[in-house]
Amino acid sequence: MPTAIAFQSVTKQYRNGKVALNGVSWSVGAGSRVCLLGPNGAGKSTSIRLLEGALEPTAGSVELLGVPVGERGYDQARLRTGIVPQGPGMYPDLTAAEYLQLAADLYGVSIEGAIQTFGLRDHMYLRMAELSGGFQRRVVLAAALTAEPEVLLLDEPTVGLDPKASHDVHEYLSAVMQGRTSLLCTHNLAEAEALCDQVIILQEGRVIVQGRLEELRRGARPRLRLAARQGTEVLRATLREVGPVHVDGTAVLVEVADPTTEAPMLLRRLLDAGLDVYECTPVRATLEDVFLEAVR
Amino acid sequence: MTAFRPLHRSVRLLFRKEVRQFLRSRQAVLTGLLLPALLMVVAPGLQLFSASASSARARSSIPSVVPGLNGITDVRGIFLYLTFPLFVVLAGLMTPSLAAVYTVISERERRSIELLVALPVSVTDIVTAKLAANLAVAAVTLAPLFAIDAAVILLVTSAGPLFVLAAFFVLLAALTASIGVSLLLALVARDFRTANNLNGAFVLPTMIVTGLCVTLVPGLWRFLVLAVLLLAMGGAASWIALRWLTFERYLS
Repeated sequence: MPTAIAFQSVTKQYRNGKVALNGVSWSVGAGSRVCLLGPNGAGKSTSIRLLEGALEPTAGSVELLGVPVGERGYDQARLRTGIVPQGPGMYPDLTAAEYLQLAADLYGVSIEGAIQTFGLRDHMYLRMAELSGGFQRRVVLAAALTAEPEVLLLDEPTVGLDPKASHDVHEYLSAVMQGRTSLLCTHNLAEAEALCDQVIILQEGRVIVQGRLEELRRGARPRLRLAARQGTEVLRATLREVGPVHVDGTAVLVEVADPTTEAPMLLRRLLDAGLDVYECTPVRATLEDVFLEAVR
Repeated sequence: MTAFRPLHRSVRLLFRKEVRQFLRSRQAVLTGLLLPALLMVVAPGLQLFSASASSARARSSIPSVVPGLNGITDVRGIFLYLTFPLFVVLAGLMTPSLAAVYTVISERERRSIELLVALPVSVTDIVTAKLAANLAVAAVTLAPLFAIDAAVILLVTSAGPLFVLAAFFVLLAALTASIGVSLLLALVARDFRTANNLNGAFVLPTMIVTGLCVTLVPGLWRFLVLAVLLLAMGGAASWIALRWLTFERYLS
């Protein structure tokens, strides 16, 4: 699979001395949907900024569609890339139509397709700042996708949106990210899980996890979800010797090496202890589990 | 960073956006029209009217050791060679710079610059389009006002077309200087207030230099020297700013 995005030993130190990325190397294959996760200040937005050419690396090389950012040919690679910035300000004096027309003219395409895809026809002649948050995000998505780009860079596309608007944006993203190289930078683990098939987790400017989501899930320590009539505190006290136990609502989650062999043994132990167990389910590791385990 | 191709097309498209936004901003239009009208027509008109009313008065009190005053024999001469160039330079410096600094900084302050960074354009395209739009608007505003001045000067005073041409050259040089310095100020200043203060700090010494120039250089040569100084200032400021200009500096 050809590489669409590549970071090779990239370090980015800002003028104030802060090191946002510290010698990181990672890549995204063409057609992959990759999520860039990490706590605040991990270097996610810096990575997007490096790819869009807004920042230059202090050391190392950043490549977009096989071209080093800022070098000859980068402008052509940029024309094949759509970018959704993080929480941009809206123009109070430009309509959605005028901004989209500017985007379409710069890419050298028509805006008709994007207007139709994102249902913007009735909102085209409103000033951008007058649009609701959901429609503002749709305009930005439409601008990024107007030229049907090969690569899509998304920096927190749903941050600040209400649940309905977030849901709508997810629907659009789910459709447009299919078969397109996408790099989604987000804090929203459910969003990442729903939209991406690969994950890169950054922490303090370094890559700490990189891989396919499914493989990472499989690699995470399995857990059992157990619930008993006596409540979580009694369960936790009884299972303390087995492994780490976390309370999850009215049940507890206990880490085990192999649910198939350990679940019957645990059940017997709990029943022998006089607990009325009414739930015992193996739990599939979520991206949240993978993330928390990685950054812990 | 490599500029995006085709550069002219990107700048032209962004230029159209800037002009459209300028024309929609009531504050910008009012500032852009009132300030030049005041500096280019009202103030010089009053000065000329006052000079005409006392045109019979001789300059007996003006020391002849100052080279720039040689040959000036009446109050109209003082207006033409001393006062009028000051108004022309002030109008050329002030008219585009306020709007230019505002457009560059406000784009950063309200984070709408993120919308442009996401598009396939370079920071040079963005800033060039902004400054070109401000220069064009200032030129379009100032040209008819200067034409009024020129007509009045040719009709009422003894100055000829060469004087008018020389003064126009100074106006263009002042506009160029203003744009170059605006670019530098917009990058150096973190907010609009700081930019305004720095702009004031730039205008004051420039006006002192202009005053020295018009009093020390004789005849029409004062316009040439003044224009060269202003062009050098604008060129140096633009050179420094463009060498320094990166998205990182603009965005942070």
